[in-house]
Amino acid sequence: MKGKKLKTGEIENALNRFLKDEQHLVLGFKKDESGVSHHIFKGSLDHYSLLNPVFGANAALYLRRLFSKGSQVMLMLRPCEIRACVELNKLTQIEREDIIAVSIDCPGTVSSKEKKEEVPAELHELNDYFKNKDSMRWACSVCGEKRAVVGDAGIRIDEKGNYWAIPYTEKGEVLLSLIDGEPEEVPAELLAAKEQKKDKFQVDMEIFNKDFEKCIMCMNCRDMCPVCYCIDCVFNGDEYLPKGDALLNKVFRIGSVKMPRGKDLFHFIRMYHVSQTCVGCGACEEACPQGIPLTKYFKGVSERLQDIFSYMSGRSFDEPIPYVTFLEDELKDATD
Amino acid sequence: MKTGIFICHCGHNIKHTVDVKKLSEYFKKFPNVTVSQDYVFVCSEPGQDMIKEAIEKEGLDRVIIASCTPSLHGEMFKDVLKKADLNPFLLRRVSIREHCSWVGDDIEANTEKAKRYILAGLYSSAHHVPLEEKIVEVEKSALIIGGGVSGLSAALFLSKMGMQVYLVEKEAELGGHVRALKNVWPSGRDGKSIVDEMVAELQSRNNVEIFTSTTIGGFEGFFGNYEVKLDTPEGQRKVIAGGAIIAIGFSPFDPSIKPELGYGYDKRVITTLEFEQNVDQLQLPENPRVAILHCVGSRDDQLGKPYCSRVCCVNALRVGDALKSRYKDSYVESFYMDVRAHPKGGEEFFEDTQEKGVLFTRANVAEITPTPTGVVVRGEDTLFGEIFERRFDLVVLSIGMSPPEDSKLIANLLKITLDKDQFFLEAHIKLRPFDTAVKGIFIAGSCSGPKDVEESINHGRASAVKLFGFLNLGYAYVDPFISWVDPKRCSGCRMCEQACVAKAIKYDEEKRIVRVEEAACMGCGLCNATCPSSAIILKGYIDRMIDDEISAFMEAI
Amino acid sequence: MTDEAKEKNPEIVGFACSYCTFKASEMAGSLRMKYPEGVKLIQVPCSSRVDPAFVIKAVFEGADGVFVAGCHPGDCHFIKGNYYTRRKIVALKEMFDAFSMKEKLRLFWVSAAEARRFIDKVTTFYNDIKEKKNEREKA
Ligand SMILES: Cc1cc2nc3c(=O)[nH]c(=O)nc-3n(C[C@H](O)[C@H](O)[C@H](O)COP(=O)(O)OP(=O)(O)OC[C@H]3O[C@@H](n4cnc5c(N)ncnc54)[C@H](O)[C@@H]3O)c2cc1C
Ligand code: SF4
Ligand code: SF4
Ligand code: SF4
Ligand code: SF4
Ligand code: SF4
Ligand code: SF4
Repeated sequence: MKGKKLKTGEIENALNRFLKDEQHLVLGFKKDESGVSHHIFKGSLDHYSLLNPVFGANAALYLRRLFSKGSQVMLMLRPCEIRACVELNKLTQIEREDIIAVSIDCPGTVSSKEKKEEVPAELHELNDYFKNKDSMRWACSVCGEKRAVVGDAGIRIDEKGNYWAIPYTEKGEVLLSLIDGEPEEVPAELLAAKEQKKDKFQVDMEIFNKDFEKCIMCMNCRDMCPVCYCIDCVFNGDEYLPKGDALLNKVFRIGSVKMPRGKDLFHFIRMYHVSQTCVGCGACEEACPQGIPLTKYFKGVSERLQDIFSYMSGRSFDEPIPYVTFLEDELKDATD
Repeated sequence: MKTGIFICHCGHNIKHTVDVKKLSEYFKKFPNVTVSQDYVFVCSEPGQDMIKEAIEKEGLDRVIIASCTPSLHGEMFKDVLKKADLNPFLLRRVSIREHCSWVGDDIEANTEKAKRYILAGLYSSAHHVPLEEKIVEVEKSALIIGGGVSGLSAALFLSKMGMQVYLVEKEAELGGHVRALKNVWPSGRDGKSIVDEMVAELQSRNNVEIFTSTTIGGFEGFFGNYEVKLDTPEGQRKVIAGGAIIAIGFSPFDPSIKPELGYGYDKRVITTLEFEQNVDQLQLPENPRVAILHCVGSRDDQLGKPYCSRVCCVNALRVGDALKSRYKDSYVESFYMDVRAHPKGGEEFFEDTQEKGVLFTRANVAEITPTPTGVVVRGEDTLFGEIFERRFDLVVLSIGMSPPEDSKLIANLLKITLDKDQFFLEAHIKLRPFDTAVKGIFIAGSCSGPKDVEESINHGRASAVKLFGFLNLGYAYVDPFISWVDPKRCSGCRMCEQACVAKAIKYDEEKRIVRVEEAACMGCGLCNATCPSSAIILKGYIDRMIDDEISAFMEAI
Repeated sequence: MTDEAKEKNPEIVGFACSYCTFKASEMAGSLRMKYPEGVKLIQVPCSSRVDPAFVIKAVFEGADGVFVAGCHPGDCHFIKGNYYTRRKIVALKEMFDAFSMKEKLRLFWVSAAEARRFIDKVTTFYNDIKEKKNEREKA
């Protein structure tokens, strides 16, 4: 595989060249006094930062229903954000023509909720910072795809600390053409996938009930999930819960009952809805005011369910979402 | 909401294991239930009147009929609502017979189960909305597949009633298996003359088109307007048929599947069919010894053919009879499981042959071995529990009727179901023996299970009568149970569109939402189950109806 | 039925396709075959109409077991619907497995002709659940 080795400042130069076009935008990170945050650049870059050490939200959330005609956004984002964009493209929420999706090798992040001090945004400092395992966000500490191997192109960092731009699609070549220098063979270590031992997610209802005891059904988790894309979610109403007279009717007919809890229904059904598209980013957990360990459940379940179909959310633009396709000759032992 | 609940006793059928009185009392308590009543036969004339009157007098806007399974009397009950000026889709059927009273013995448990089923109907019916049945024009023409006696009789009837008939026969000649029978029981007539008569009459009619050496290449559309592709020797032809009758008959059982019968490599072991065709050319000694084997390829669980073929016992008797008439001093022994001489006069015929000297041995035949000195039959006499071994000059296998070889093919093309034996499945064994589950498609003759000639002809005519009733109306109602997209709720993700098998969902590039092409929608509901926010709904089966049924079963509402 | 019996007898909700399993259940009824009264059916036009959310709902409303039943693969009245059902229900089973409640969900193929198979499937499911339920209660 070929890519271009990046000299210092070359990314910025390339993106600025891209921004010369009136219709072009860059979505990436900006670093100022208040810290690093998502930013859309027009015209030219300003305090651009390749990395953002603090995770607040998944930027794909803001790209839903991106149908602009003629304009183009270069996405310079974390792998989990790019993967969510890829899923949203399959869900017709992001037009393919409108984006060039570039993922960036991710060193991991700190949770916005736990950020107590200044977190460095430079790569080597950040790597040092994360020597203390506890400072990394839980979702990141178990993240299976920190490598920038998804989307149209990736910004990779080799063992010596060199930066590489590697194209994966024709659109990725656009980025490359903006970069000075000739393409060369990329170091082998960047190509090898790190073999990761995944523990199968396994709990029981007792653990679930305990973990979700404090859930107040605010549905922030859904609101901040990039792949919960529905304009009018099924949980917007409360029809699925017995209430008022219906509830009393029941009590009069069959005696005392436990108050129905919509919690389990909400989380289970949402978990099923995002089971093939969840990218394990942990944005839901980040948004939860009650500190529910959502990533453990949503990521855990979705990995098991994606494995059945050898699917991985956001890995490729072309793989259909498993529930809208099938093979006749599969799942032979599906029935009981 | 004013709901009327009508609970049927079905004579004794429901009442004997469901406490119908208790049920009708119970539902009176519900605030939105205006009428709750039990009645001996809700489907009877007075029963229907009772419902009609209640609708009119009480101003009911929902009707729940708890009785037999919804696939029975559906149209009739809908008509009752129509007569009372109520939209027929505000009717809810609840099955407390096939799904309660008949499947459990404990009256208390059954009553509780029936209660929950009715409760489910009650809650779910709150989400019923008036729907419009679309009316489609029905083409007054019929496709008949198979030109055996059953297909011929169906074609004749429909043609005489003025319907355009397309008769499709795979072979070069019409007539099916009967054409080859020399001496058709019980009339004794030559099979060829029977079918020739029917064929001649059919050919003389000007509203019949006969396609021989032709197979079905495609079958699309819906009741009233099926588009059929015929692969004829002259190339493909397209015809439009309002409905269809399947009459593709049977396949004679092939005894070589059971090697222990010794069939297929020695001309001294033959089938009843071959006996019938070659009875004059048989080279037998003066006083021949002949064995006849009943139930070959019938009532055989190991072969997956547990059914009785209905004709083979009589066929076996006819062979014995024929032999005894030709060779007075022959030794003829029939090996049977038990004799089921089906048609009228069969039992007398059985006694006759016994008198003529045919021996009957109840036996399990284990093996038939042709040897130079005769064909050896080994087996066990199951009456006396003895093992025997006897030598014969000829063995005749009375073969059964197997399902037609094209059954799977035709079933797939017409999207209908086969039974466990691979014959075509009736919609209901007793109540709808000519219908399939698909409206406008009927079955006739031995393709739905072994039948003799008379039965096949009658079955063919009966199916034709049924189809005629449908076609003659000239129009049909189409179920309005198709999908609909709520434009305000659709996110335009196109998941439903990708899944829909009928390609009935179209994406609007401007509005960025989808819509349903009504004529193409099959009403399966896959789209509804695929859309996470249920922005696309299947009318008649919306989420809330099913959710409430679940809740009612669990008494959680 | 005493309250105690009610406690111990499982509640099973089954989703049955109109063209096959529901037909088989009608036939079973006509033939007076018996099965436990705890088994109750919801008729759907095709097994592909079954939204996994229904199954989840049934379980959290108190069903001890849920089954989804449709035509054998290749025989779907709606041509391919049951292949989608298979994917969805297999996924849902995996999810239930993650929560250690795999035994609550089953998928059957029962054609319109298979009344006996229908009885066998629902009765076995019922008995298996009942055994587990009573074991748990004793413990
Ligand atoms: C050995 C034997 C002896 C019998 N003797 C008697 C008797 O004495 N008395 C009596 O009452 N009954 C007798 N029967 C039964 C009798 O043969 C049947 O009742 C009768 O043939 C049934 O008629 P049918 O029209 O249903 O089927 P068939 O006669 O089988 O005719 C079906 C027709 O459909 C055609 N076909 C098949 N597939 C296709 C396709 N894909 N497309 C188009 N056409 C197709 C076939 O070529 C055939 O012409 C006997 C049966 C056997 C096996
Ligand atoms: S989840 Fe993975 S890709 Fe996303 S921020 Fe964490 S480590 Fe990076
Ligand atoms: S929970 Fe389901 S319905 Fe609601 S937004 Fe997420 S995917 Fe859509
Ligand atoms: S469910 Fe949570 S982890 Fe999965 S994509 Fe949504 S926000 Fe990210
Ligand atoms: S954000 Fe947290 S508290 Fe709110 S619904 Fe989700 S899990 Fe419950
Ligand atoms: S009901 Fe079935 S055929 Fe109709 S639009 Fe939905 S998926 Fe397509
Ligand atoms: S699946 Fe639902 S939201 Fe998506 S396009 Fe279809 S109807 Fe619209």
